[in-house]
Amino acid sequence: MEEQIKFENAAKRIEHIEDVLSSVAAGDLEVRVESDIEDDLTGIEEAINILIDDLTYELKQSKKIKEELEEKLKKIQEQQKTILQQQEDLLELSSPVTKVWDNILILPVIGTLDSQRTQIMMENLLQKIVETGCTNAILDITGVPTVDTQVANHLLKTVTAARLLGADCIISGISPAIAQTIVHLGIDLSAIRTKATLQDAMLFAMKKNNQLVNGKIQVNKIEPEETDK
Amino acid sequence: MHEIISDKSWEELGKYPIQTEFDIVKVRQTVRNYAKENGMGIVEQTRITTAVSELFRNMYNYANGGEVLIERGEVEGHIALIVTCIDRGPGIPDIEMAMADGYSSGMGMGYGLPGAKRLVDKFEIYSVINKGTIVRVMKWR
Amino acid sequence: MNIDFQERKIPIIKIRDFLIVSIQVDMHDKMAVQLQSQILHEIERTGAKGVLIDISVLEMVDSFIGRMLSGMASMASIMDAAVVIVGMQPAVAITLVELGLEMPGINTALNMERGMELLEKMVKDSL
Repeated sequence: MEEQIKFENAAKRIEHIEDVLSSVAAGDLEVRVESDIEDDLTGIEEAINILIDDLTYELKQSKKIKEELEEKLKKIQEQQKTILQQQEDLLELSSPVTKVWDNILILPVIGTLDSQRTQIMMENLLQKIVETGCTNAILDITGVPTVDTQVANHLLKTVTAARLLGADCIISGISPAIAQTIVHLGIDLSAIRTKATLQDAMLFAMKKNNQLVNGKIQVNKIEPEETDK
Repeated sequence: MHEIISDKSWEELGKYPIQTEFDIVKVRQTVRNYAKENGMGIVEQTRITTAVSELFRNMYNYANGGEVLIERGEVEGHIALIVTCIDRGPGIPDIEMAMADGYSSGMGMGYGLPGAKRLVDKFEIYSVINKGTIVRVMKWR
Repeated sequence: MNIDFQERKIPIIKIRDFLIVSIQVDMHDKMAVQLQSQILHEIERTGAKGVLIDISVLEMVDSFIGRMLSGMASMASIMDAAVVIVGMQPAVAITLVELGLEMPGINTALNMERGMELLEKMVKDSL
């Protein structure tokens, strides 16, 4: 015998199911299929409700994940901003120009010297020369790992610009290795005064300033050098 | 003549003739003002002003004057100041040679182009003999 | 800096044996050439031994003005006068170097005071 499926109020209940499904499709997840009759249709009615429950849960999860991702994205963007700012600060800090004695500035160059750093270094140095009125600057490159043609050109550029302002530069911290590289590359540094150590450069500058006479330090006496360059 | 096409999204700030020496001074000061408005620092302002001064002088000395178009717009992700110099002069026979350092054609035109190129972020040049020359420079930093 | 289109002459002041020229305006090319002649003229007229050119107000020195300055230094030295350029602004110095302009034979000093000292030394050395 064929099973007879019996629904009470079939038409009405099917219409109700359709309404609920439409509402869900339209975005309303609060609706549920209501029924107080227990028969063969009840299975489907309940299944639909469970489906809506699952859907609600999934959407909530998905929304939570989306919010977490947005939080993370915001944090990363802030970190990026901080990194950029720190990079800028680092660039600025990495070329500090200090007045180390009357009429003597020191610029320790640390790390690789690319065109961007040269820019900042030059601007800092020239600015400081004008601010302090110092006409001697020591560029110490002890902290520069390699000197190739590019780096040499950057140094030359800086020294030339300082010269135009009326300031003399000495490059110190030239290691034997760098000296060899410079000669091998055929770089001409004859226009620049160089010293092996910072100390040598300091002594030279002080003598030039008449601050060191017969091995004695003279304070407050700044006169241009008397001897030939 | 090769057509340089301005990006439609660029804003035209002004069009200025270079016919007299005073024009060179006036328009380069105008460029500096726009550069300042565009947020460029003193060094960058000086660079673009000096670069265009070289270009204007070239137009005045070798091409019987010309026209300058100043625009602002996005270039490679930056808001740039764009200065285009257009002249109907004799043109440059050998651009490669003119762009090589140390090139000089009598009155020192050699200092103009390669030097100007170093001072800006983007440099374009088109020239046709007996038709004229267009030089366009851009600066954003 | 004003845009001054009148054919105004840049003032040249004489102090002791020196001429002091203070360039205050954005010069057009003809004006720059005129200034060059003017200075040489004054050197001849006054017998000045040195010229101090103050460019501390100049916001731009392009290749023409640069060549005018170094040309004048050479011409002046032929007339036995030393030339010192003072007060170049940092931005101008940087741009000049990048322009690749060589200015042979010019002497520079940071400011007026040092400029005068240098001139005095140069004149003393050449005697």
